[in-house]
Amino acid sequence: MSLFLFVFRQLAEIEAMATSKKVITREEWEKKLNDVKIRKEDMNRLVMNFLVTEGYDEAAEKFRMESGTEPDINLGTITDRMAVKKAVQCGNVEDAIEKVNDLNPEILDTNPQLFFHLQQQRLIELIRNGKVEEALEFAQEELAPRGEENQSFLEELERTVALLAFEDVSNCPVGELLDMSQRLKTASEVNAAILTSQSHEKDPKLPSLLKMLIWAQNQLDEKAAYPRINDLSSAVLEDPAV
Amino acid sequence: MPSTSSRHELSELLAGLASNDWEVKLGALRHMKNKIIGKKDKKLDFVELGAVAAVAKTLSDALNVNGEGNPDNIKNNIIIQSATVLGSFACGFDAGAQAVINAGAFFNLARLLSIQDAKVVDAGARSLRMVYQSKLAPKYNFLQDENMKRLISLLSNENENVSGLGASIITHSCKTTAEQVALCDAGILEKLTSLLEGSISQRDASLESLATILKNNTEVVLKFVENENGRSLDSVIELAKNKYPRTRLLACICLIVIRNTCPSFLQDIGIKAKLVRTLLELLEDPCVGDEAPFAFSSLIAQKEELQRLALEASAIEKLYCQLQKDPLRPKYIEGILLALADMCSMLESCRDSFLKLEVLDLVTKALSHDSDDVCIAACICIRSVSRSVKNLCAGHFMKDTIVTPLVKLFIKSSTAVQVAALGAISNIVVDFTTRKSAFIQCGGLKELVQLSESMDGSVRSNALWALRNLIFLADNKLKEDVFIELKAPLLASLISDPEPFVQEQAMAFVRNLVDGCIDSIEYAFTDDSLILKAIGKQLQSTAKVEIRIQGMYVLSNVAAGKDSHKEAVMNQLLPQAVSIRDQYFVIRFLQSSDSQLRTATVWALLNVTHPRSDPGAFGRYIKLQEVGIITQIKNMINDPCLEVKLRVRTILEKYASFGGSLL
Repeated sequence: MSLFLFVFRQLAEIEAMATSKKVITREEWEKKLNDVKIRKEDMNRLVMNFLVTEGYDEAAEKFRMESGTEPDINLGTITDRMAVKKAVQCGNVEDAIEKVNDLNPEILDTNPQLFFHLQQQRLIELIRNGKVEEALEFAQEELAPRGEENQSFLEELERTVALLAFEDVSNCPVGELLDMSQRLKTASEVNAAILTSQSHEKDPKLPSLLKMLIWAQNQLDEKAAYPRINDLSSAVLEDPAV
Repeated sequence: MPSTSSRHELSELLAGLASNDWEVKLGALRHMKNKIIGKKDKKLDFVELGAVAAVAKTLSDALNVNGEGNPDNIKNNIIIQSATVLGSFACGFDAGAQAVINAGAFFNLARLLSIQDAKVVDAGARSLRMVYQSKLAPKYNFLQDENMKRLISLLSNENENVSGLGASIITHSCKTTAEQVALCDAGILEKLTSLLEGSISQRDASLESLATILKNNTEVVLKFVENENGRSLDSVIELAKNKYPRTRLLACICLIVIRNTCPSFLQDIGIKAKLVRTLLELLEDPCVGDEAPFAFSSLIAQKEELQRLALEASAIEKLYCQLQKDPLRPKYIEGILLALADMCSMLESCRDSFLKLEVLDLVTKALSHDSDDVCIAACICIRSVSRSVKNLCAGHFMKDTIVTPLVKLFIKSSTAVQVAALGAISNIVVDFTTRKSAFIQCGGLKELVQLSESMDGSVRSNALWALRNLIFLADNKLKEDVFIELKAPLLASLISDPEPFVQEQAMAFVRNLVDGCIDSIEYAFTDDSLILKAIGKQLQSTAKVEIRIQGMYVLSNVAAGKDSHKEAVMNQLLPQAVSIRDQYFVIRFLQSSDSQLRTATVWALLNVTHPRSDPGAFGRYIKLQEVGIITQIKNMINDPCLEVKLRVRTILEKYASFGGSLL
């Protein structure tokens, strides 16, 4: 039985449980699980939603062909969006900005915070590549005006410029700005903005379902002892503690 | 001043635009686009250096060219990119929008909507939408048939930028009742309702347009609410729970417009509570912009019940919490202050909460803000809170920290700021404990008198209002100080001021001035009775009932003094130049339908004829009888106003023994 099926049946069953605390054996539990009906189409749509939102356009296309599930947005737009995300992840921020402007010129014009973060990332990349002079000029010409237009950016701006003050950048207090995680953060922000502009949900549904399972299990723990799923990736039922 | 780098960059770009090679042109356009998007400072520089005109020309040339020697797709690309650049200049930037309009690009952009290329239409629609977000966009005439048809076709288009453009046009240009009705009759409400089910941007644009069409128009609101058995209204109510904050805000604004226009709708306590909670929560959301506090104000202004609900939902605490954050945009601060002002405008419980939390400290700080609008909002807030009689009487507002910054605002050049500061001071000076010392010590009196000579009528009248409150029940020393500063000639000229509101306040001031002890009455007689004569003259000529009432109370107060005072009042009541009975203003006033005026007049008459034991009392009564005033009074024995009735009877009772009777 597929992992998904297992997890979802578990979830459905917990939701139907009675309120008194009791012990349920594995046999009883599995029997109940088997009685719960989950539709294949629903699961397919969840998978498609995940692939599309995360931007796995080739996988989404293949999945569409093999399962017959229609994606809820045009797969062509995923390619553009993924190109932007990739550019940021590789540190080619200028390229990413141009691509976003080609896709939808309003996004950066109406999202000052996102634009600031992209400019900030550009500055970080210049510093990373040792182009100190260029970095200073960039900070002055491009970032300082953003700080003037919106005072809430000033603190972050100061943190970023502080990188220039340290000889050994990787070991300074603001060194985390140079991490890959910062690039990923910016990339994720751009991705979300593009999805929103296309009226698409920026978060996939799957994580919400898993969170719901964990929460429901925690709730049920107060009322019963039953076989739990402790490892979401394997969805294996572990015997109740008696 | 455009920076050197901007000049340098732009001259290169303009050279590219001027090239005959279309690939080079296209490259220059894309470069310019990427240079300006997201950068207000760059847009400003480029606008000042004439970039917009150059791009507008590029667009125009591309549209008018025959297409020989250049493939269509490059031509379309140039059109798309120039439209995008123009749209970006106009985005959220009035100077840019103005430049686009001035460059004559507007109509070319409109032409793009009819071109058979989806991307071109999209670019044109988007750019026009940006222009229409500015107040400077040209007005759209809905009353013309062709225009209405065009609007309907825009709204029916599947492309969300095109339908969004239709909605933006409505939001921008629909101003009059006639336009609202015309749009409603053309079926626009139904079109907008269907857009509520569309994409995020269609929904938001539609909500804004709906609010514009419904505002203050009962007929259109009724049609909307009845539309599809209330389903349209239900859709909007649902959207107030939407997960996107901006959508929630716009839906709330729409519902508030409906409620304020037709109070019988949306009366359910659940809806009211939901609106209050949603707006309070939106206050804290940074991506919603500055509109949330203004929307909250429009919900609660003048509505006690909603203010009570908001108080229970901790509105004051939440507003205070927002005010403490730093940095804040001036528009947002203004909104929060006005919201606090509305909360405290009617309910003492709200003012209590406000004062307990010590919000006043922050509000007084705002009096020194750079932005005039913020200062005005702070003044309005203080004016609202100082309506708390118990705190006013306890002298909690007559403090240096509050009064000094307010008086500083008097010196500012903007009349709007002066009027707002005067409004706040007017309440604060009604203070009996500290003898208004903080105000006098910081030089407030001198400033106030100077404002009473302002060129602006509303400043003069508000300054007099403050002065009037200042001397209300004040001791003789204060009255003397005020009178020395103001002087009789100025006061007399204010009584005869060209503006009726100023006349009224001047009279009210004199009323308070001469009230109290007998010595105060002498003020009316300084400089050869300058003030008394001015009042008499005004009473003869004015048609405004409020001025008449104040004037009669002045005469009434003066007549409460010595015999000589009463004689002087008689001379004003019965001026020599008048001989025909009906020309005496006293008689006209007694016949007035306004009970306050009849009351004031009767008081004056009572005071001139009492006490009966005064040497001249009897003589004055006879004079009044000779000109028919006593006859008029006798007709008022059963006046519907109790106050009038009682005074009339008192007058007649005292003289009953002399030929008068109570019949």
